[in-house]
Amino acid sequence: MPSKPAKFQIVWLQGITCNGNTHSFLNDPLLGSLLDKVRFLYHPILPSQMSLRELVVKIPKSDLLIVEGAYRGDFERGGAVMEKLLPALAARAKNIVALGSCASFGGIFKEASPESISGIVYDKSEATGPLAAMREKVINLGGCPAHPEWLSFVIGMMLNKRKVALDELGRPKELYAYTVHNGCLRNDYFEWKVDSRSFGTKEGCLYYEQGCQGPFTHGSCNKILWNGVASKTRAGTPCFGCTEPTFPKTDLFRTKTYMSIPSEMPLGVPKRSYLALAGAAKSFHIKRLEERLIDDHA
Amino acid sequence: MITHELIERIEGEALIDFRTDRSGRVQDAQIRFLHFRGMEAILEGRHPLDALVIAPRVCGICGHSHLIAAVEAIEAAYRHSGAEVKLSMKARSIRNVTKFSELLQNHLKWLYLIMLGESAKLLREEHPLPLKALNAASQANRLAALFSGQWPHSSYALPGGVTCDPTHIEIMQALKILAELERFVEAEVLGCSFGEFETIRSYRDLTALGGDFGKLLQNVERLGLADTGHSHGRFLVLGEHPGCRSMAIDGNTRRAADVANVSEDASAVIEGKTYAKNALYEGAFYETGPLARALVSGRSVIGAIHEAHGDSASVRIAARMDEMVDLLKNIRRLIETLDLSEPSYIAPPPIETISGEGRGIVEAPRGSLIHTLRIEKGKIIAYAMITPTQWNLGNGTAVSPGVAQKAMIGAQSRDKASFLFRTFDVCSVCTTH
Repeated sequence: MPSKPAKFQIVWLQGITCNGNTHSFLNDPLLGSLLDKVRFLYHPILPSQMSLRELVVKIPKSDLLIVEGAYRGDFERGGAVMEKLLPALAARAKNIVALGSCASFGGIFKEASPESISGIVYDKSEATGPLAAMREKVINLGGCPAHPEWLSFVIGMMLNKRKVALDELGRPKELYAYTVHNGCLRNDYFEWKVDSRSFGTKEGCLYYEQGCQGPFTHGSCNKILWNGVASKTRAGTPCFGCTEPTFPKTDLFRTKTYMSIPSEMPLGVPKRSYLALAGAAKSFHIKRLEERLIDDHA
Repeated sequence: MITHELIERIEGEALIDFRTDRSGRVQDAQIRFLHFRGMEAILEGRHPLDALVIAPRVCGICGHSHLIAAVEAIEAAYRHSGAEVKLSMKARSIRNVTKFSELLQNHLKWLYLIMLGESAKLLREEHPLPLKALNAASQANRLAALFSGQWPHSSYALPGGVTCDPTHIEIMQALKILAELERFVEAEVLGCSFGEFETIRSYRDLTALGGDFGKLLQNVERLGLADTGHSHGRFLVLGEHPGCRSMAIDGNTRRAADVANVSEDASAVIEGKTYAKNALYEGAFYETGPLARALVSGRSVIGAIHEAHGDSASVRIAARMDEMVDLLKNIRRLIETLDLSEPSYIAPPPIETISGEGRGIVEAPRGSLIHTLRIEKGKIIAYAMITPTQWNLGNGTAVSPGVAQKAMIGAQSRDKASFLFRTFDVCSVCTTH
């Protein structure tokens, strides 16, 4: 009898992090069936074969190295500096995932020290990180945090030996070809240029005034819902563009405008065409969109 | 003998330098946190509302508490500068529901991923990953996400309210999830109904519970740790939420706590050695967190066993578990009484007109969290945080130890001391913000 095939071995390494991707991953509703197929050689919270000390000494081979958190060369994990630890683990890994915006592009922690902190392949959108030479085997899952289903999708593809199609920033097209605007429940309002006017309502589009970056942010937050039930825009919160290398921008709850037109256009839309379209759409007054959807709360 | 022990499977990692005698008994324990990230500096110079996006990223397990602390600090800055900022009862209740859900998932993960596993390891027993607990914790997060849009890292609270506009659909979903969580805590955590649990008055009855909570207490007893881990017996609650008000307890004396008596001491912060500052109240170490909250709110079972056993490891564990029941009760009441006709958000004056200082204090899973900021005409000039584990894990000296340090001194071995350390629900991520 042939022995059971070896489980897919994963090392989960943390750089400069808040642990948000770790806790996001724990929300995966099908974590149990995933864990049947994989084995964590090291994970910071889940049971794993090695301690951190053992990991940094043994530098095991793995099928997948998941890196959570931003990179800084002299940052230490388990007494080892990232400058040595990360390339060593990466060289012995078949695949690598940069999980979340910190590992992908530098993220929020990069703001503290922009010269020395970066993602593992990308520094913002420049491929100058420590693993730039290995970029072919690195998949970026931008997002602050990354959605658990984004990670389990990628692991599933690897388990099934399928190739993941990537965009120009190394993100799976399956997840990032969409914009956050896709599937947003406020799209009616966007089409007819009806602004939400205020926070705390489910009516109106958040792109015109409230800073929503959904129309030009790659991500499937409104396709694969958060915690199975929601998304930022569904809860009335603007999208902050957290999957992009530009995250975090500044002045996040206000739309920058030029002559009262949003200065950043929906993805792929030329400003001139947008102006023509917006002018026409605004001339409609659709009563349905100017009223509360459900006005009897009692 | 001095040994440096790396403490893993907490939020982040910590090093403890143990000094032990010949028999291996712990005489002193110096706690070091290694990873400083500079969040306060990142916030300075930014638009004040950006704090609602940046500050939650301090911590992946209690980011929501940071969000609420940040928004309350901004609201306080409004009031301080003479401007009005109003909040509907509905918005307050929703903020509490999501905050309590975060506490709940934290306590579930602590019990199942950390404490049951670590106690089994010390007893050399197998402890398979309890996926049922992860499922329950993710339900608590789903409950929060119904209102906050996502967990972790939502930014749905703004000065003047919340961004969401729930209708009956969210309320019915919330009640279903809540019933599922109540069932889990009764069947798995406690092993009895809430009604039966409420009649318990003695420590012995708690350890006899058939659920996983009882199992943890039994493990702690088998390890000979039940009546160890005593600290200073000083407790502090600075945040206020339903059923809990600001208070300091020192032995038998209780007094209203005043945040003006809080100070930070950076003497233990040495570049490359530790990045955690000590947080002190009236110049002394005070314990914050579930045990402090239980004593302040007068929850009967914890009060009674604290009276009998003091601030021991098992009483500290019991307080965190008992808080789950209390949180569920409060979440149910808040959801059932939510008045959907109230506004979610009442726009305050533009923040660009505001100059002032403000403080937001929140009872986070591990204790009192304080954000203080100063705004000048719509810009953050200064931002300071004191995080929960700073209180409990402050580094004193062998003569005047911090809260967790004192609890570890006298432990029979380093392993047992490390376990006692974990009873405080350690977070190095937020401690070294």
